[in-house]
Amino acid sequence: MSPRRKILFAILGLYVVALITVIGIFGWARLDNEEFAPQNEFKLDPWIELGPFDINKAVLYLFIAALLTTGSMIYVANRMQAKPNRIQTAVEAAYDLTYNTITRGNMEPEMAARWFPFVATLFFFIWFSNIIGYFPLPVNTAEKVSVFGLHLPAFSLYAATANLSVPLVLTLMVWVTYQVEGIRAKGFLGYFRGWIPSGTPSKMRPVIFVIEVISQFVRIISLSVRLFANILAGHLLLLFMAGGLAVLLGLAALGFLTLPLAIVFFIFEVGLVATLQAFIFATLTSIYFGEATAPHGH
Amino acid sequence: MTTTLIAQVSDDGLKAIALGIGAGLGSIGAGIGVGFIFGKVIESVTRQPEMREEITSIQWLGFALTEAVAFYTFIFGLIAFFL
Repeated sequence: MSPRRKILFAILGLYVVALITVIGIFGWARLDNEEFAPQNEFKLDPWIELGPFDINKAVLYLFIAALLTTGSMIYVANRMQAKPNRIQTAVEAAYDLTYNTITRGNMEPEMAARWFPFVATLFFFIWFSNIIGYFPLPVNTAEKVSVFGLHLPAFSLYAATANLSVPLVLTLMVWVTYQVEGIRAKGFLGYFRGWIPSGTPSKMRPVIFVIEVISQFVRIISLSVRLFANILAGHLLLLFMAGGLAVLLGLAALGFLTLPLAIVFFIFEVGLVATLQAFIFATLTSIYFGEATAPHGH
Repeated sequence: MTTTLIAQVSDDGLKAIALGIGAGLGSIGAGIGVGFIFGKVIESVTRQPEMREEITSIQWLGFALTEAVAFYTFIFGLIAFFL
């Protein structure tokens, strides 16, 4: 056996021994916890009451994401070097992704030049919103921790995109904008005529048009719920695997069993889902823009 | 006999069963779809290795669109469970 494999087996053996010990100490009896409400992790308590403009933790996350988006881009843009350092290389790769793959790949060159800033901002904003959702921040004001007599909010995971309102607003912005842009590019009647594929028999045209109208409205739901559901499901998995399930059922040993799963899911979420969802949102946005303004319909 | 049995089962229990069945069936569909996508990607890359970059960028689009289906069922199951 190679030394790496030996270490792996040793860790596995230690884990099994520790698991058996934990079960031996705490037993495997269920003791349901009635007080812990997992849905409260996603509840938004208003911090500053301003009617419909309440400041809560989702708003804080949005502010942080907006600051990071603008701040990181301005920082890198002001310190451009001929010989790029690591951060510049990363940002240049992201710029290349948003410009060539996402925008230029799906739009006419003229449209791509006009709408690239919008699409790239969407990408970076959603990416930063997703990523800061995986770092624990002291935002849980429902559970206070007292440190030297000070009541500080507990650290918790939350993402602004795990709340349907945020993806829905982004989606509505995209949806209205591309409809307006399509009408501007092809004229009011020409745009709606473009929804019907050329060569459709005239009797079928009204049916196809109705189906197309429905599919346009379904885009609002699919684009927003895709982002929201992915992030919410990821956060729920992390919550339950990293101890929520153990607390809920009062089974201490179960927490030990699910913790490795939580680590695997965390890596999966940070490494793949956060970036992939931002990429998908930006790509679909530019596909919709490209389709609405393409000269020959679709 | 059956009516009394159903009456005994609590509403929450039925909701939990519904969530389990719904999310499970949704995951089956998404699992088949994701497997299909990656299988086809491997197939096409072995056939035309020079198209690899183009194929991988489309692959992630297809992957995310398919995978989202599992989360749709999960979220709608949760909505049915909690509301």
